[in-house]
Amino acid sequence: MIYVTYIAIVLSWVFIIFGMIAIFRLKNLYARILAATTIDTIAILFVIIGLLFVAGSFGFVIRLLILLLFLLITNPISSHVNIRSAYLMGIPVNTKEKKK
Amino acid sequence: MLNQFLLVTLFIIIIAILASFIRMIKGPTLWDRILMLNLISAKVVLFITVYAIYSNSVILLDIAISYGVIGFLTMTLLSKFIMTGSDEK
Repeated sequence: MIYVTYIAIVLSWVFIIFGMIAIFRLKNLYARILAATTIDTIAILFVIIGLLFVAGSFGFVIRLLILLLFLLITNPISSHVNIRSAYLMGIPVNTKEKKK
Repeated sequence: MLNQFLLVTLFIIIIAILASFIRMIKGPTLWDRILMLNLISAKVVLFITVYAIYSNSVILLDIAISYGVIGFLTMTLLSKFIMTGSDEK
């Protein structure tokens, strides 16, 4: 059962490192926001699923589940509010069309 | 074996927080900086969660939950304040 934890934690390392690469490599603002928040949510999901299998008592499990539910609901809402604010303030979505 | 995995996870999360901070200083627009604020908040919640399992204490998980609430409120209210300005009543 502990191998599930190892696999999930190694997958979360991969996702965190890819998220950090995506922040520095992408040029468009919307692509950066999409890549960063999506990869970060998946990394949080994998870490907490991995930690659920080694949690000792019932108190750990119920708090980890509450934290997972809260982060899965609020993290996409935050990125949506951010993207909506940027779009309504007039940041162009496609930068190549503007140059033509 | 598990403790070494958790220590490497904590190290990677610290490196990710530092990279987000560098991007927050460099960021060309205002929304980049708000996005990095969100990412740093989520990474700190993740750090506290992994450290709670590493040190086997339940109280740190409560601190992680309240830190998540505070980070979400900061992010949402800052975006709304930038969009509407200070004229809203």
